[in-house]
Amino acid sequence: MLIGAVETGCDFRVLVRQHQAMVFSIALHFLRDRATSEEVAQEVFFSLHRNLHQIESPAHAAAWLRKVAVQRAIDEGRRRSRRPQVALEDVAEPAAGGKPGDPLLSDLLRKLVATLPEAPRMVMVLRYQEDLEPAEIAAALEMPVATVKSHLQRSLAMLRGKLARRGIGESGWTG
Amino acid sequence: MDWLEDELRRALARQDPPDGFAERVLARSARGASGARRWLAAAAMVVVAAGAGGAWRQHQGNEAKQEVMLALRLASAPVHRIQSEVRGMTQ
Repeated sequence: MLIGAVETGCDFRVLVRQHQAMVFSIALHFLRDRATSEEVAQEVFFSLHRNLHQIESPAHAAAWLRKVAVQRAIDEGRRRSRRPQVALEDVAEPAAGGKPGDPLLSDLLRKLVATLPEAPRMVMVLRYQEDLEPAEIAAALEMPVATVKSHLQRSLAMLRGKLARRGIGESGWTG
Repeated sequence: MDWLEDELRRALARQDPPDGFAERVLARSARGASGARRWLAAAAMVVVAAGAGGAWRQHQGNEAKQEVMLALRLASAPVHRIQSEVRGMTQ
Protein backbone atom coordinates (compact mmCIF):
# COMPACT_ATOMS: atom_id res chain seq x y z
CA MET A 1 0.00 0.00 0.00
CA LEU A 2 2.99 2.26 0.48
CA ILE A 3 4.16 1.82 -3.10
CA GLY A 4 6.21 4.81 -4.14
CA ALA A 5 5.95 6.41 -0.71
CA VAL A 6 9.68 6.28 -0.01
CA GLU A 7 10.71 7.78 -3.33
CA THR A 8 8.07 10.49 -3.68
CA GLY A 9 6.63 11.11 -0.24
CA CYS A 10 3.25 9.95 -1.62
CA ASP A 11 1.52 7.61 0.80
CA PHE A 12 -1.65 6.29 -0.84
CA ARG A 13 -3.63 6.36 2.44
CA VAL A 14 -2.64 9.97 3.04
CA LEU A 15 -3.51 10.95 -0.54
CA VAL A 16 -6.98 9.37 -0.24
CA ARG A 17 -7.76 11.17 3.02
CA GLN A 18 -6.28 14.47 1.78
CA HIS A 19 -8.07 14.61 -1.57
CA GLN A 20 -11.29 12.63 -1.08
CA ALA A 21 -13.43 15.78 -0.72
CA MET A 22 -11.93 17.36 -3.86
CA VAL A 23 -12.39 14.26 -6.03
CA PHE A 24 -15.88 13.44 -4.70
CA SER A 25 -17.08 17.06 -5.02
CA ILE A 26 -15.92 17.45 -8.62
CA ALA A 27 -18.04 14.42 -9.51
CA LEU A 28 -20.95 15.50 -7.28
CA HIS A 29 -21.20 19.07 -8.59
CA PHE A 30 -20.91 17.85 -12.16
CA LEU A 31 -23.25 14.83 -11.92
CA ARG A 32 -25.52 15.84 -8.99
CA ASP A 33 -25.85 12.24 -7.81
CA ARG A 34 -24.16 11.19 -4.56
CA ALA A 35 -24.10 7.43 -5.20
CA THR A 36 -22.69 7.77 -8.72
CA SER A 37 -20.21 10.39 -7.53
CA GLU A 38 -18.91 8.01 -4.87
CA GLU A 39 -18.45 5.31 -7.51
CA VAL A 40 -16.60 7.76 -9.77
CA ALA A 41 -14.40 8.94 -6.88
CA GLN A 42 -13.57 5.33 -5.95
CA GLU A 43 -12.59 4.63 -9.56
CA VAL A 44 -10.34 7.70 -9.56
CA PHE A 45 -8.48 6.58 -6.42
CA PHE A 46 -8.31 2.99 -7.65
CA SER A 47 -6.69 4.33 -10.81
CA LEU A 48 -4.24 6.36 -8.70
CA HIS A 49 -3.34 3.19 -6.80
CA ARG A 50 -2.48 1.44 -10.08
CA ASN A 51 -0.44 4.42 -11.30
CA LEU A 52 1.24 5.46 -8.08
CA HIS A 53 4.67 4.67 -9.52
CA GLN A 54 4.17 7.57 -12.01
CA ILE A 55 3.48 10.14 -9.30
CA GLU A 56 6.45 12.39 -8.63
CA SER A 57 5.30 14.53 -5.70
CA PRO A 58 2.25 15.32 -3.54
CA ALA A 59 1.52 18.36 -5.78
CA HIS A 60 1.69 16.12 -8.84
CA ALA A 61 -0.72 13.70 -7.13
CA ALA A 62 -3.22 16.52 -6.49
CA ALA A 63 -3.10 17.73 -10.10
CA TRP A 64 -3.29 14.14 -11.39
CA LEU A 65 -6.33 13.37 -9.22
CA ARG A 66 -8.09 16.57 -10.31
CA LYS A 67 -7.53 15.84 -13.98
CA VAL A 68 -8.63 12.19 -13.73
CA ALA A 69 -11.67 13.14 -11.62
CA VAL A 70 -12.69 15.68 -14.28
CA GLN A 71 -12.32 13.12 -17.06
CA ARG A 72 -14.13 10.32 -15.22
CA ALA A 73 -16.99 12.66 -14.27
CA ILE A 74 -17.34 13.82 -17.89
CA ASP A 75 -17.27 10.18 -19.10
CA GLU A 76 -19.96 9.23 -16.59
CA GLY A 77 -22.01 12.27 -17.60
CA ARG A 78 -21.84 11.15 -21.24
CA ARG A 79 -22.95 7.63 -20.29
CA ARG A 80 -25.89 9.11 -18.39
CA SER A 81 -26.75 11.55 -21.16
CA ARG A 82 -28.86 8.84 -22.81
CA ARG A 83 -31.04 8.83 -19.72
CA PRO A 84 -33.56 11.62 -18.97
CA GLN A 85 -31.93 14.77 -17.63
CA VAL A 86 -33.22 17.51 -15.37
CA ALA A 87 -34.45 20.29 -17.63
CA LEU A 88 -34.21 23.90 -16.58
CA GLU A 89 -38.01 24.09 -16.53
CA ASP A 90 -38.04 21.26 -13.95
CA VAL A 91 -35.84 23.18 -11.51
CA ALA A 92 -38.21 24.11 -8.71
CA GLU A 93 -38.45 27.64 -7.42
CA PRO A 94 -36.98 28.00 -3.93
CA ALA A 95 -39.83 27.61 -1.43
CA ALA A 96 -38.52 30.51 0.59
CA GLY A 97 -35.43 32.65 0.94
CA GLY A 98 -33.33 33.56 -2.10
CA LYS A 99 -31.28 35.87 0.10
CA PRO A 100 -27.49 35.87 -0.18
CA GLY A 101 -26.04 32.99 1.86
CA ASP A 102 -29.40 31.20 1.96
CA PRO A 103 -29.07 27.38 1.66
CA LEU A 104 -32.07 27.39 -0.70
CA LEU A 105 -30.31 29.85 -2.98
CA SER A 106 -27.23 27.59 -2.92
CA ASP A 107 -29.39 24.63 -3.86
CA LEU A 108 -31.03 26.58 -6.68
CA LEU A 109 -27.60 27.63 -7.99
CA ARG A 110 -26.37 24.02 -7.95
CA LYS A 111 -29.46 22.98 -9.90
CA LEU A 112 -29.01 25.79 -12.41
CA VAL A 113 -25.32 24.93 -12.88
CA ALA A 114 -26.40 21.31 -13.50
CA THR A 115 -28.48 22.49 -16.49
CA LEU A 116 -25.40 23.93 -18.23
CA PRO A 117 -23.84 21.96 -21.10
CA GLU A 118 -20.89 19.69 -20.27
CA ALA A 119 -17.93 22.02 -20.92
CA PRO A 120 -19.23 25.22 -19.25
CA ARG A 121 -20.54 23.14 -16.33
CA MET A 122 -17.10 21.68 -15.64
CA VAL A 123 -15.51 25.11 -16.10
CA MET A 124 -17.86 26.50 -13.43
CA VAL A 125 -17.12 23.61 -11.04
CA LEU A 126 -13.35 24.09 -11.38
CA ARG A 127 -13.64 27.88 -11.07
CA TYR A 128 -15.93 28.03 -8.03
CA GLN A 129 -15.26 24.73 -6.26
CA GLU A 130 -11.53 24.52 -6.83
CA ASP A 131 -10.91 28.26 -7.17
CA LEU A 132 -8.73 27.66 -10.24
CA GLU A 133 -7.66 30.50 -12.53
CA PRO A 134 -8.81 30.35 -16.19
CA ALA A 135 -5.31 29.28 -17.30
CA GLU A 136 -5.32 26.37 -14.83
CA ILE A 137 -8.82 25.35 -15.94
CA ALA A 138 -7.69 25.53 -19.57
CA ALA A 139 -4.78 23.19 -18.77
CA ALA A 140 -7.00 20.74 -16.86
CA LEU A 141 -9.64 20.62 -19.61
CA GLU A 142 -7.19 20.92 -22.50
CA MET A 143 -9.02 23.88 -24.06
CA PRO A 144 -7.91 27.43 -24.94
CA VAL A 145 -7.93 30.02 -22.15
CA ALA A 146 -10.18 32.26 -24.28
CA THR A 147 -12.77 29.44 -24.43
CA VAL A 148 -12.67 29.06 -20.64
CA LYS A 149 -13.21 32.81 -20.18
CA SER A 150 -16.05 32.78 -22.68
CA HIS A 151 -17.76 29.85 -20.88
CA LEU A 152 -17.43 31.68 -17.56
CA GLN A 153 -18.89 34.94 -18.89
CA ARG A 154 -21.80 33.26 -20.68
CA SER A 155 -22.61 30.99 -17.73
CA LEU A 156 -22.60 33.89 -15.26
CA ALA A 157 -24.82 35.94 -17.58
CA MET A 158 -27.21 33.01 -17.97
CA LEU A 159 -27.38 32.45 -14.20
CA ARG A 160 -27.94 36.17 -13.55
CA GLY A 161 -30.79 36.15 -16.07
CA LYS A 162 -32.43 33.04 -14.60
CA LEU A 163 -32.14 34.40 -11.06
CA ALA A 164 -33.48 37.82 -12.10
CA ARG A 165 -36.50 36.12 -13.67
CA ARG A 166 -37.10 34.46 -10.29
CA GLY A 167 -36.79 37.86 -8.63
CA ILE A 168 -33.41 37.10 -7.07
CA GLY A 169 -30.71 39.76 -7.17
CA GLU A 170 -27.84 41.14 -5.13
CA SER A 171 -30.10 42.05 -2.21
CA GLY A 172 -32.08 38.78 -2.22
CA TRP A 173 -35.69 38.84 -3.42
CA THR A 174 -36.32 41.88 -5.58
CA GLY A 175 -39.72 40.81 -6.88
CA MET B 1 -16.08 40.36 -5.61
CA ASP B 2 -19.40 39.89 -7.43
CA TRP B 3 -22.30 38.66 -5.19
CA LEU B 4 -23.16 35.89 -7.64
CA GLU B 5 -19.58 34.59 -7.62
CA ASP B 6 -19.66 34.61 -3.81
CA GLU B 7 -22.89 32.61 -3.88
CA LEU B 8 -21.43 30.17 -6.42
CA ARG B 9 -18.39 29.59 -4.19
CA ARG B 10 -20.72 28.86 -1.31
CA ALA B 11 -22.98 26.60 -3.43
CA LEU B 12 -20.11 24.68 -5.01
CA ALA B 13 -17.93 24.36 -1.90
CA ARG B 14 -16.24 21.00 -1.45
CA GLN B 15 -18.31 18.36 0.34
CA ASP B 16 -17.08 15.35 2.22
CA PRO B 17 -17.89 11.97 0.69
CA PRO B 18 -20.17 9.56 2.60
CA ASP B 19 -18.81 8.08 5.86
CA GLY B 20 -16.31 5.27 5.40
CA PHE B 21 -15.37 6.34 1.88
CA ALA B 22 -11.60 6.27 2.50
CA GLU B 23 -11.83 2.84 4.16
CA ARG B 24 -13.81 1.47 1.21
CA VAL B 25 -11.23 2.85 -1.25
CA LEU B 26 -8.32 1.37 0.71
CA ALA B 27 -10.04 -2.01 1.05
CA ARG B 28 -10.91 -2.12 -2.66
CA SER B 29 -7.38 -1.11 -3.67
CA ALA B 30 -5.92 -3.84 -1.43
CA ARG B 31 -8.33 -6.40 -2.96
CA GLY B 32 -7.40 -5.20 -6.44
CA ALA B 33 -3.67 -5.55 -5.75
CA SER B 34 -3.99 -9.08 -4.31
CA GLY B 35 -6.33 -9.99 -7.19
CA ALA B 36 -3.71 -8.84 -9.68
CA ARG B 37 -1.06 -10.90 -7.90
CA ARG B 38 -3.36 -13.97 -8.04
CA TRP B 39 -3.88 -13.48 -11.79
CA LEU B 40 -0.12 -13.16 -12.29
CA ALA B 41 0.51 -16.38 -10.34
CA ALA B 42 -2.21 -18.20 -12.31
CA ALA B 43 -0.74 -16.98 -15.61
CA ALA B 44 2.74 -18.16 -14.55
CA MET B 45 1.30 -21.60 -13.67
CA VAL B 46 -0.38 -21.85 -17.07
CA VAL B 47 2.93 -21.03 -18.82
CA VAL B 48 4.84 -23.61 -16.74
CA ALA B 49 2.14 -26.26 -17.30
CA ALA B 50 2.14 -25.57 -21.04
CA GLY B 51 5.95 -25.90 -21.13
CA ALA B 52 5.89 -29.11 -19.10
CA GLY B 53 3.17 -30.53 -21.32
CA GLY B 54 5.25 -29.80 -24.42
CA ALA B 55 8.33 -31.50 -22.93
CA TRP B 56 6.26 -34.56 -21.92
CA ARG B 57 4.78 -34.84 -25.41
CA GLN B 58 8.31 -34.66 -26.93
CA HIS B 59 9.54 -37.34 -24.52
CA GLN B 60 6.62 -39.62 -25.45
CA GLY B 61 7.29 -39.04 -29.15
CA ASN B 62 10.95 -40.05 -28.76
CA GLU B 63 9.98 -43.22 -26.90
CA ALA B 64 7.46 -44.18 -29.58
CA LYS B 65 10.04 -43.54 -32.29
CA GLN B 66 12.59 -45.80 -30.54
CA GLU B 67 9.97 -48.55 -30.17
CA VAL B 68 9.14 -48.41 -33.89
CA MET B 69 12.84 -48.56 -34.82
CA LEU B 70 13.35 -51.58 -32.55
CA ALA B 71 10.33 -53.33 -34.09
CA LEU B 72 11.68 -52.66 -37.58
CA ARG B 73 15.10 -54.04 -36.62
CA LEU B 74 13.51 -57.19 -35.12
CA ALA B 75 11.30 -57.67 -38.17
CA SER B 76 14.17 -57.20 -40.62
CA ALA B 77 16.43 -59.87 -38.97
CA PRO B 78 14.47 -62.95 -40.27
CA VAL B 79 14.16 -61.33 -43.69
CA HIS B 80 17.95 -60.93 -43.86
CA ARG B 81 18.41 -64.56 -42.81
CA ILE B 82 16.00 -65.80 -45.49
CA GLN B 83 17.67 -63.61 -48.10
CA SER B 84 21.14 -65.04 -47.32
CA GLU B 85 19.76 -68.64 -47.38
CA VAL B 86 18.15 -68.00 -50.80
CA ARG B 87 21.41 -66.46 -52.01
CA GLY B 88 23.34 -69.61 -50.82
CA MET B 89 20.94 -71.98 -52.61
CA THR B 90 21.14 -70.14 -55.87
CA GLN B 91 24.94 -70.14 -55.80
